[in-house]
Amino acid sequence: MTRFRLPAWFALLLPAIIVLAAVVLIPLVLSLYSSFTSYRLTRPETLYNWIGTFNYEKAAKSAHFWSAFGRTVLLLTIALNLEMLLGLGLALLVNQVTYGQRALRTIMMFPMMFSPLLVGFQFKFIFNDNVGLVNNALQSIGFSNVAIPWLVDGQLAFFSILVAEMWSSTSVFAILILAGLFAVPRDPIEAAKVDGCTPWQSFRHITLPYIMPFIYIALAIRSLDVARAYDIVQIMTNGGPARRTELLWTLIGRTGYVDAKMGYANAMGYISIFLAIGFTIFFFRKLNAARAELGMGG
Amino acid sequence: MRSMKLTKLMSATALIAVGGPALAAEFDGVTLQAKLIGGQQYEALYARIGEWEAMTGAKVEIISKKNHFELDKEFKSDLAAGTLGWCVGSNHSSFAAQYPSLYTDLTPYLTEDVIAEYVPSNVAASKIGDALVMLPRAQFDVSVLYYLKSVYEDADNQTAYKAETGRDLAPPDTWEEYKAQAIFFTDAPNFYGTQYAGKDEAIVGRFYEMVVAEGGQLFNDDWTPAFNSDAGKRALSWFVDLYQAGAVPPGTTSYLWDDLGQGFASGTIALNLDWPGWAGFFNGEETSKAAGNVGVILQPQGSAGIRTGWSGHHGFSVTESCDQKEAAASLVAWLTNEDSQKLESSGGSLPTRTAVWDHVLEAAKADPFRAEAIAAFQAGSEHAFPAPQTPYWIEATNLIYPELQAAILGDKTIDDALSDASEAVDEMMQENGVY
Repeated sequence: MTRFRLPAWFALLLPAIIVLAAVVLIPLVLSLYSSFTSYRLTRPETLYNWIGTFNYEKAAKSAHFWSAFGRTVLLLTIALNLEMLLGLGLALLVNQVTYGQRALRTIMMFPMMFSPLLVGFQFKFIFNDNVGLVNNALQSIGFSNVAIPWLVDGQLAFFSILVAEMWSSTSVFAILILAGLFAVPRDPIEAAKVDGCTPWQSFRHITLPYIMPFIYIALAIRSLDVARAYDIVQIMTNGGPARRTELLWTLIGRTGYVDAKMGYANAMGYISIFLAIGFTIFFFRKLNAARAELGMGG
Repeated sequence: MRSMKLTKLMSATALIAVGGPALAAEFDGVTLQAKLIGGQQYEALYARIGEWEAMTGAKVEIISKKNHFELDKEFKSDLAAGTLGWCVGSNHSSFAAQYPSLYTDLTPYLTEDVIAEYVPSNVAASKIGDALVMLPRAQFDVSVLYYLKSVYEDADNQTAYKAETGRDLAPPDTWEEYKAQAIFFTDAPNFYGTQYAGKDEAIVGRFYEMVVAEGGQLFNDDWTPAFNSDAGKRALSWFVDLYQAGAVPPGTTSYLWDDLGQGFASGTIALNLDWPGWAGFFNGEETSKAAGNVGVILQPQGSAGIRTGWSGHHGFSVTESCDQKEAAASLVAWLTNEDSQKLESSGGSLPTRTAVWDHVLEAAKADPFRAEAIAAFQAGSEHAFPAPQTPYWIEATNLIYPELQAAILGDKTIDDALSDASEAVDEMMQENGVY
């Protein structure tokens, strides 16, 4: 009689499979299941109350959900583009520095070291209409004699959140793009100079294609971050006033943890995940195309 | 040996005298886990836990100390995960109804005489149905009117107000007069007539008490929304009119209690409806620019002749799953007994025991400001009423407040905002099977 033995490859993979199942798969399946129930945190028995696709239908019909969805896409689009442009500029400038570049690179990373909660409190104070730095500065230099409601007016509040997001994360782009700039070979740039190319032509046709894969990696990472934006917005405006700055995760967080409607919150969460998946697929396709252009395989 | 017996006897006598039902060393070997509200102002009371431990032989292990909003999330997570091994929890009358299954009825563990020592309206607000789910502590909250005395003493103001309205300038007794004065005092952006909490449960609580003062209700008896009414519209127009007139800071829709407290203490707000905990802060030389210039009077009344009075209080509860309920009830009674309430109210908070009210009034006689404030709060407490006792109160506030904000900021008309809020609350109540 031979004893049953697990295949060696499976036995070796088993610890990883168990860990992955415990920390990723089980919570994922449980939250997916609960999105089809009327699960409320305060009533654990409701976890077994199957209500089919009711939560999904409710989210699909909710104007508040779709306006938060749209606002999140808008924030994502604007923040990513501006951060990318500023990060690129910052990286190009730092790349030109020959003395003290290491110190500059470290300083550039400071905002990334702050907890998003702290960044939220910091910018909430900066944009406070009564005692905030911005209004006081504007009034002191005579640009304004009224208290500008930065965190109340819909567009100004969106702008304030955008500024906080950009302050906190532009350096992610700058660091990754700088790494890309270090990897650009010198030969083609020098050849271009000899051929009489302008600096813009060298940048546009040689440097940029080389750093595009790095830009797309940064875009993919940050798109996931912004699509999950919660902390900064929660502190600065909590999605308000009058839902003017409501983003997906402030809405979902409030529904799940304050209203205790975890089933409905999970349903909204699963719909929102498609947003993150969509952006990730888009940026990875772009990344592969950029790599293919450089002859690095597609 | 004899001295040990004597100590035990004295401890037992002392415990019975202060109102706890426990006997000395009755709970030897018992360990109670507790989740309590945290904050420097509560530490003096928690220091008394050591005395209770010495008398009863039990041990208390505080496993969580957070503010009520964080505790609320933690309790919900505990309910969801079934991690309910702890026995004693801080509670609040505005949150209690959300956890109908979490806390046990304390009535079987207390005598009627002990319960009768608390202010009846506070006991009523500590119940869910007939179950007494918490014992109230000396942290009772009702809002009265704080004002800057200087704006009323100013001769130019008095003349101008008389000329403008035909009335003498005096702190307001109606919300209509309050609004007129707030607009009159405003000199933006340096000085505002008033301010109000602008988001979350806070603005809905203020709206709720204003609806009541206007003769309406937030909910009917069957919990259908009742605020889309004439009284509701009058109440909301009070907030809208003040905002549209620029008589409140433009950021007021993002303000919560701390912002309001700091605002009034900065001396740039004339009238401020606020809680008792701020009295000392507002009149403190080191904490407030308004120190020495603060008056406190009874909160104004609405057009129905009813005064606002949304109130709340802190309390302590015992979990249904606790296997040492008698010991836990004894601890809760100890933390809210007469000595505990005297200790807590010496810091400025309001008691919930009748005898302690008398003590607080007597103790305040030497300090005119404190005496004025306590008298106002005692008068104010007679008009107090708790938040609607439904498990869906917080969820309802989350549906109502964005609509109130939309009306205040001019995104919607008052009619549309109240209609939308009412429709959303109605749908939520139906979805939850309330009716």
